[in-house]
Amino acid sequence: MDQNADASFDPSKNYDEDTLAQQREIEKEIAASQAMVSQLHTFDEIVEEYSQEDAIYRQKIEDLKSRFKNLRKTRGDGNCFYRAFGFAYLEKLLNDGKEYKRFLDIAQKSKDELIGLGFPQFTLEDFHDTFMDVVKMVENPGTVDGLFQAFNDAGLSDYFVVYLRLLVSGHLQQNADSYVYFIDGERSVKEFCSQEVEPMGKESDHIHIVSLTKALQIAICVEYMDREGEKCNSFKFNPFESLADDTDTAPAFTLLYRPGHYDILYPL
Amino acid sequence: MTSMEKRLQKELQAMTKDPPAGVSVNTNSLTSTLSEWIVDIEGAPNTLYEGERFQLGFKFTSRYPFDSPQVMFIGPNIPVHPHVYSNGHICLSILTEDWSPALSVQSVCLSIVSMLSSCKEKKLPPDNAIYVRTCSKDPKKTRWWYHDNSV
Repeated sequence: MDQNADASFDPSKNYDEDTLAQQREIEKEIAASQAMVSQLHTFDEIVEEYSQEDAIYRQKIEDLKSRFKNLRKTRGDGNCFYRAFGFAYLEKLLNDGKEYKRFLDIAQKSKDELIGLGFPQFTLEDFHDTFMDVVKMVENPGTVDGLFQAFNDAGLSDYFVVYLRLLVSGHLQQNADSYVYFIDGERSVKEFCSQEVEPMGKESDHIHIVSLTKALQIAICVEYMDREGEKCNSFKFNPFESLADDTDTAPAFTLLYRPGHYDILYPL
Repeated sequence: MTSMEKRLQKELQAMTKDPPAGVSVNTNSLTSTLSEWIVDIEGAPNTLYEGERFQLGFKFTSRYPFDSPQVMFIGPNIPVHPHVYSNGHICLSILTEDWSPALSVQSVCLSIVSMLSSCKEKKLPPDNAIYVRTCSKDPKKTRWWYHDNSV
């Protein structure tokens, strides 16, 4: 913006402090009003709120109602994809012991892989330990309520998010050759990871989802609720499709995407 | 012990046991909760800052490592560098926008040493005069514009 265009702009005054204080206020308000992961909602409960953004969403929610029963909201703090992914997946593992064993193995091995990539051991260990504590809540014996408490406890939930971010970063760096052309700006994969993946609050895009599903070998589905068309578009992220023994893997869970945000969907 | 203290204890141990070249924690400076540190750093050999000694002041909030540390040059010798203001404030993206909880005191120190090492001409930031006159005491309250990664 041309600073001269604003008659009240005083070049000798410092505006940064006010701007940042305002940003902090907004963050506080979001934290106070939105659970990190919410209880189950019906579509009738959220239709008014969601269609305020755009009237077309009313129609698209009707479409969702024909296929899904409930939704769980996540906090709009830039970490929503990771929190939605983590909660929905662990919730699914509560009823799938075989998949849980497979995942536990991958999760345990991932620590040494990340250290091998150069992440400092002492910071990584902290995040990995807490991550594993949350994962193991699935087995002793796990309940949806237990997971709900954990994902709303910042001391567990944020550590869990950090570790998922590191897994995404690790996968991108290990496969830098396949991703370098999908990164905008003249940035290396490593730079992209330190700017758009590892910091908390940085939002997730297609490339983050692809990486996390590949790193953990989990197929998921995303319903895209954008402003185009009349129905939601579903898109399946299938990390197995490039493998020879391709079977039609059922997605572990489904997320709802509205521009800039991810929630969790529960089928009928 | 709070999770911030626990984490900083671990970091301190790693830094004193196996300090990176040219970086050492000034252990006399540590407060009991570890919320403030002073780290001595030395300009790397064969760079414009070879042999020069600087001090970095670190301050941590109880939300560390989710909140980034406040980091600035302190003491009598502030390096003359295009990203370092004469009041000690440093324009480095990992100190604000690109901070990640997986970073550490050590990785911040290494980034700063490397920022000094790649400098080709000792000069102040172009907006030093106005910035130093108008900025907040806390460099984390500046909205930094990161544009040049070459120095």
